[in-house]
Amino acid sequence: MLRLDRVGILRGGAVDVDLAAGITALLGPNGAGKTELLEAVMGLRRPLAGSIYLDGADIARWTPERRSRAGIGWCPEGRRIFPGLSVMENLELVATVGRMERRRRLDRVLGYLPALADKRGAAAWTLSGGQQQMLAIGRALMTAPRILLLDEPSRGLAPVLVADLFALLRMLADDGLTILLAEQAVAAALNIADRGLVLEHGRLQASGTAAEIRTHAALERSLLGAGRYS
Amino acid sequence: MPAELLTFAQLVLNGLALGAAYALVALGFVLVLNATGAVNFAQGDMVMLGGYAAVALARALPVPGLLLLPLVMAAMAGFGLLFSALAWRPFRHRPPIFGLLATVALGLALQEAMNALEGAGPQAGPALLGVGEIRLGPLGLSRASLGILLACLGLGLAQGWLLGRTQFGRRLRASAQDPVTARALGIPVDRLIAVSFMLAAALAGAVGLLLSGPYFVTPTSGTDLILRAYIAVAIGGWGSLRGAVVGALLIALFESVVAGYASSVAATAALYGAVLLLLMVRPSGLFPAPLGRRA
Amino acid sequence: MMRPASLVGLAIALWLLVVLLLGSGYEQRLMALAAGYALMAIGYQLVFGQAGALSLAQGACFAIGAYTAGILGGRLGWPLWAELPAVVLVPAALAGLAHTPVRRLDGHFFALATLGFAVLVRLVAVDAQGLTGGANGLVGVPAFGRGPGAMLVGWSLVGLGAALALWLTRGGNGPALALVRGDADLARASGLDPERIRARGFVLAAGFAGAGGALQAHVLGLVSPDVAEFSVMVGCLAMVVIGGRGSVMGAVLGALLIGHLPEWLRPLGASYRVAYGLGLFACLLVAPAGLIGSLERFWPMRRAARPVAGQRAAPAVATLRIDGVEKSYGGIAVLRDVTLEVRPGEIVGLIGPNGSGKTTLVNLISGLDRPDRGTISLGERRLDRLSPDRIALAGVARSFQTPAPPDGMAPLDLVTAALAAKRGCAGFGAAAELEPLQGRAADLLQRAWSTDIARALALDPAVLLLDEPAAGLDAGERDRLGLLLRALAAEGRGLLVIEHDMGFLMGLVDRVAVLLDGRIALIGTPDAVRADPGVRAAYLGTVPC
Repeated sequence: MLRLDRVGILRGGAVDVDLAAGITALLGPNGAGKTELLEAVMGLRRPLAGSIYLDGADIARWTPERRSRAGIGWCPEGRRIFPGLSVMENLELVATVGRMERRRRLDRVLGYLPALADKRGAAAWTLSGGQQQMLAIGRALMTAPRILLLDEPSRGLAPVLVADLFALLRMLADDGLTILLAEQAVAAALNIADRGLVLEHGRLQASGTAAEIRTHAALERSLLGAGRYS
Repeated sequence: MPAELLTFAQLVLNGLALGAAYALVALGFVLVLNATGAVNFAQGDMVMLGGYAAVALARALPVPGLLLLPLVMAAMAGFGLLFSALAWRPFRHRPPIFGLLATVALGLALQEAMNALEGAGPQAGPALLGVGEIRLGPLGLSRASLGILLACLGLGLAQGWLLGRTQFGRRLRASAQDPVTARALGIPVDRLIAVSFMLAAALAGAVGLLLSGPYFVTPTSGTDLILRAYIAVAIGGWGSLRGAVVGALLIALFESVVAGYASSVAATAALYGAVLLLLMVRPSGLFPAPLGRRA
Repeated sequence: MMRPASLVGLAIALWLLVVLLLGSGYEQRLMALAAGYALMAIGYQLVFGQAGALSLAQGACFAIGAYTAGILGGRLGWPLWAELPAVVLVPAALAGLAHTPVRRLDGHFFALATLGFAVLVRLVAVDAQGLTGGANGLVGVPAFGRGPGAMLVGWSLVGLGAALALWLTRGGNGPALALVRGDADLARASGLDPERIRARGFVLAAGFAGAGGALQAHVLGLVSPDVAEFSVMVGCLAMVVIGGRGSVMGAVLGALLIGHLPEWLRPLGASYRVAYGLGLFACLLVAPAGLIGSLERFWPMRRAARPVAGQRAAPAVATLRIDGVEKSYGGIAVLRDVTLEVRPGEIVGLIGPNGSGKTTLVNLISGLDRPDRGTISLGERRLDRLSPDRIALAGVARSFQTPAPPDGMAPLDLVTAALAAKRGCAGFGAAAELEPLQGRAADLLQRAWSTDIARALALDPAVLLLDEPAAGLDAGERDRLGLLLRALAAEGRGLLVIEHDMGFLMGLVDRVAVLLDGRIALIGTPDAVRADPGVRAAYLGTVPC
């Protein structure tokens, strides 16, 4: 479906990934290149090297708009909802389809996110952090993606909200959505993920099933450091 | 009603009509500002061009101004598309000062082109609703002013509806707030920007027609308007639609009232003095827009 | 080798000579008028081209100069020697007065304020009959007469003005001004005060414009209110854009071209001004750096500066003390009772999850924001009420996360700007020679190799704040960075390092401070911090969510 072939994100590193169905957790410290990787897939950043394939087609020259229409959903770091617009407007504006289909998608998305249904008319900036995150996910779902890119959705959320959020992601994946989840909340992410990738300095340090990654030495080393100078 | 109060009410009424016209100019300016972060100093000259378009159309088609309005707006929308290709596209990846200067240069070329074609003298455009005065109790309102008020109200409401209630408006506002995210969500940002320029030019065309009747049009008549619009947008908070309208009305009321009691020179002096004072006290305008991108 | 500016200067001198010897009286008069514009445009390079502030008042200052000449020299009959200082000082003083209240404005708000000033000046010109003669203007200004006299006086003034402008921007001022117009925040962090520099540029520019306006009045023998029209300002903008932004010679060239345009395009009749507008647009489109700037692009590069090692005197050492600092935004506490010390020669790491307040703390120390409560001091000196440029000069320098130099600025210039600031450069006027500064900058770049750390080191700080210095570096570069930071600490400097690369940080620092939810949760050695259960929970999530 989505394949990264020696994609250079930071200088001196390249990433090979063949994204499998289900949830893939993308782990690693800040500055490892997680956000850059997602931006390269979305077409917001030109990779330093390598190619990205969607269903076998090289999408290097595709605009972000085209990638979105081809089924890549975007849920960016810091949510970046449109703050001046209402919840409903945030959801409706991204659906490039007729009114009927828009309604259908809206019903489906609100089915996943009942909390948003109560807030339809509210201005998006008045929502709490957790609700804003749900809105950002709902907005991405309104583009009817096959693959959803999520960048640190748990940031700044209370643990109980993170649990809700990740339960939702699991549910979406079980309904057939492929998810690439960049996260710092390592344990929580690995609990719901099918597979994991550990990124450090733009290089893939480990990849495997969630269980393998959880006990992988590369993970602890990259997150807590192992004293190179001592 | 006592005489002083009556005078004051009349001045306010006159100011409202003028303010409505300023507001439309300012709205066009903010529309482009929000969509691109670019400052269009030629917005006033587009009004002037719209005025001449109205004059020319009225010569060819002797019908009421109201019927010419959509024609002028459509023609100007086309011009807006051309303008965006010249003044925005080539400059979008350069420091904003270049785009600003490009609009100044194009505005200058427009002024001088009209000067060469039509001469420096004032030309009268079509009247929107005929001529004469309407009595509102003790107050008088010229048909021209009434036309301006009504048309501005109509166009303002139409723009409010377009931006607030339609899918197009939602997308325009969203890409103004965050063009990168909008792109990643599949919104055709470039096309929306082109449409913003078209809308801004169409609004300018409408104002041009409205003002060409009662106030005439000269090649330099856009200059004063863009200065007013610029002030309106700046004191309104640089990017806020509501702020721009409030700013435009405030300016016009202020001018009308001060001019009524003193002179139009005093009004202009007081206006700019007041603006300097305001910027001292509130360096980011009346309604600072936290989301507005500063160019 | 000659630079394009000198070549253009030579060509202009030749042109002037030809007109002076062979030209008609009319041509000489045109040249004299162009001299007035040239003075205005040279001044405008200081405020717009160099300090980067879009002032729309330059035309108004030109008008003030013209009216000052008309009133003092014409109506009151002052002799020239008494009038000359007045035509410079009056516009400069008025500009200074007008600028003081709006000095904090920047960008479009500054442009608007200067526009307001220009409109007021125009009103006085047109409507204050008693002072300015209103629509009739002022007649009977002593004229320099037809012929070469006016041209000689005018171009002597231009020569003086150009020399003065070159002196004002010489040496370390050049890079410092480039930094001010490129990135005001980075300029502040490098010890420069953009507000003060812009204010000085504005007042100096007004003086130049005043001299230009007075010259025009004396050439024409009258002052017409047209001089206060906005088209003069547009012409001035066109001159510097077409000639080349920032360049004195570009201003002179632009003034000559624009001054002669009506003459050259006379065959076009009234529509020549259309060509003027379109020509300006075309210039913006194809030669945005102006004629001089475009020529320079095709010129061979100047020799690279050779590194000159400065004597590495021991820096002034002092302890940075953060004591009980609190900060909240919109009612949400971001920092709560933060107390931390960075002692001379010590490397302290600052870690914490995203949103824990690390960047806020660095912003408070470097003066971008002020703490609500608590104090920050370096040695005996309180920092928390100082502006960022003062803090940078006082000995606390910071590096930024995204250290890309502003548009078109070479790393060498960026470091040179900081060195100039440290040596007391104030943007205009006396400044250290450029070459020694560049040599020192090249040395710092060689040593630090990272542009932004070199820039920070140029300030010779007692304490260095580093925001994610290892981000985006490969393994070899990280090792070099580690060695550099160790060496800086060994010189006695204190280092506060924010870093997410734990492998790098833990091996480097003496102590680690952990920020959790705006509080210092723990300060200790790397081993102690790594073993702490709270830290493990925050970073690895081993405590169930």
